[in-house]
Amino acid sequence: MEPPRSSGVGIDNSGEYSPEIAETLRFEEEIQSLIHPSSFDGSAAPTGGGSFTALLGLPANQAVELLHDSGAREPLASRIRVGGHPVHRPFHLPLDCSSAFPSNATLVDRAARFSVFAAEGSPASSSGRLKAEPQDSDSPPLDPIPTGPAKRKDTGRSKCDVRLSLSFKSQAKATAKKSKNAEENTDGDKLPYVHVRARRGQATDNHSLAERARREKINVRMKLLQELVPGCSKITGTALVLDEIINHVQTLQRQVEFLSMRLAAVNPRIDFSSLDSYLSAECGPVTVRNGPGGVVVDPSLWPTDATAEATRRLLVPQFWHIDLVPPQLQPQQSLTTWERDGAAHSQLLPNPTTSLFLYDPANSGNANVPHLTAKLKTAEDRALNL
Amino acid sequence: MYRRSFKDTKSSLGSPNPNFSKPMVALRFLRALSLVRCSGPGARSPSYRARGIRRAAYACMAASAGPRRAWSRALLRKIRRRPGRGLRRPRAVIRRRRPVGGGDPLEVALRRLVPGGGCMEYCRLLEEAADYVKCLAMQVRLMQTIVDSASHVNSID
Repeated sequence: MEPPRSSGVGIDNSGEYSPEIAETLRFEEEIQSLIHPSSFDGSAAPTGGGSFTALLGLPANQAVELLHDSGAREPLASRIRVGGHPVHRPFHLPLDCSSAFPSNATLVDRAARFSVFAAEGSPASSSGRLKAEPQDSDSPPLDPIPTGPAKRKDTGRSKCDVRLSLSFKSQAKATAKKSKNAEENTDGDKLPYVHVRARRGQATDNHSLAERARREKINVRMKLLQELVPGCSKITGTALVLDEIINHVQTLQRQVEFLSMRLAAVNPRIDFSSLDSYLSAECGPVTVRNGPGGVVVDPSLWPTDATAEATRRLLVPQFWHIDLVPPQLQPQQSLTTWERDGAAHSQLLPNPTTSLFLYDPANSGNANVPHLTAKLKTAEDRALNL
Repeated sequence: MYRRSFKDTKSSLGSPNPNFSKPMVALRFLRALSLVRCSGPGARSPSYRARGIRRAAYACMAASAGPRRAWSRALLRKIRRRPGRGLRRPRAVIRRRRPVGGGDPLEVALRRLVPGGGCMEYCRLLEEAADYVKCLAMQVRLMQTIVDSASHVNSID
């Protein structure tokens, strides 16, 4: 869905971008012709493994200096400095260089050298710059160069050019269609999709782009899942992570099952009708205020994790309007009362889960358990008798 | 009785961003619980009640997750299918878009676990699974606190 949509956008916009592409190509070609090849190599070597933008920043800086220094570049400088009709002037250029555009061997060579470092460049910074790039192509391209943002625009434009040449290099075909492809790549980066970048040696075909986008989406979602499931961030490998996720989901579902059984055991002693009336009384005026939002709770009434305290507050008056039983109750008495009204609960006794440990007097190895069960039993007794 | 509880939870589906507010899920769940036990405490066996509570838990979880989620819709459909079995609506829901290739056993297992997972694409499945895990965890925490508060009522002394 999404890659074809981006490609459609790319194809739609390519008409308005191709003159600018050509213009940037021409511009970059001029800049590179200005840069001495030895100086280019000298600048490229120290920043060998560095980031892409740093690499491109240097030649651009050099281009700036060269433009400033030499008088032979006057026509170019004058063309640059004129900000009056920025859009019209470069349009003359592509008419000249359209023939030179595909078959510029020197351009491809230099772009090839760029591409070597482009592959090692950090994709994060480049994708960050990619967002800046379309804005740059939208804005008038002939801003005065010495300013800082202009330098960034330079790198953006040169990056566009490098990407184009990357596509040239990988496809070994120089047609406008490939420029549209690369431009579609950048257009896809404008939209809020997963950013896909064509790396060196990878085909920039429509299908492979879509596949790569899909794979990136899947990877993003897997990372999300890994964060959700505890203990999954250390595991590497998709199969193990999936295994862990499945395990976790099964555990959660089993926990829901056990808790529901436990609730079913607890429930007959709790009078929830008054609870319901209390809740509706509290939330009645709130729902009226909040309109058709269904059951909406006043946030001041329910702070986070206040359910425990709220239910305790509600359960207490129902249970303990009688006096608390003194804790020194005989366990045998508790057992008899348990068996007396425990006909319904007998199914729960042989339950092996630890969650029902509290309700299983047969397992009362703990000193606390008969204590608690005794209290519960006597309270229930009194409640039933009342 | 069950129908009433589920209709109660389903009718309030209009909430926009619901499941991140745990109190709302709690409220719905408690309401459903009270309705489940309306039939009389001693009338049914606890296993029957347990099943009803489990269905109520899933129903309120799906209802509060919102109708925008595929798994919540599928879950509610699965829950409500039992009462209204006979009448199939003429407007057939288009199910089973692009059925699974089914090569990966892990993927197949995940599809079986997540409700509504048979029809989705892989990346959609992962997305739904993430949301499902989040809601399940919240539901489990909620039920745990309810059970704890119910069983430790005598801790006030």
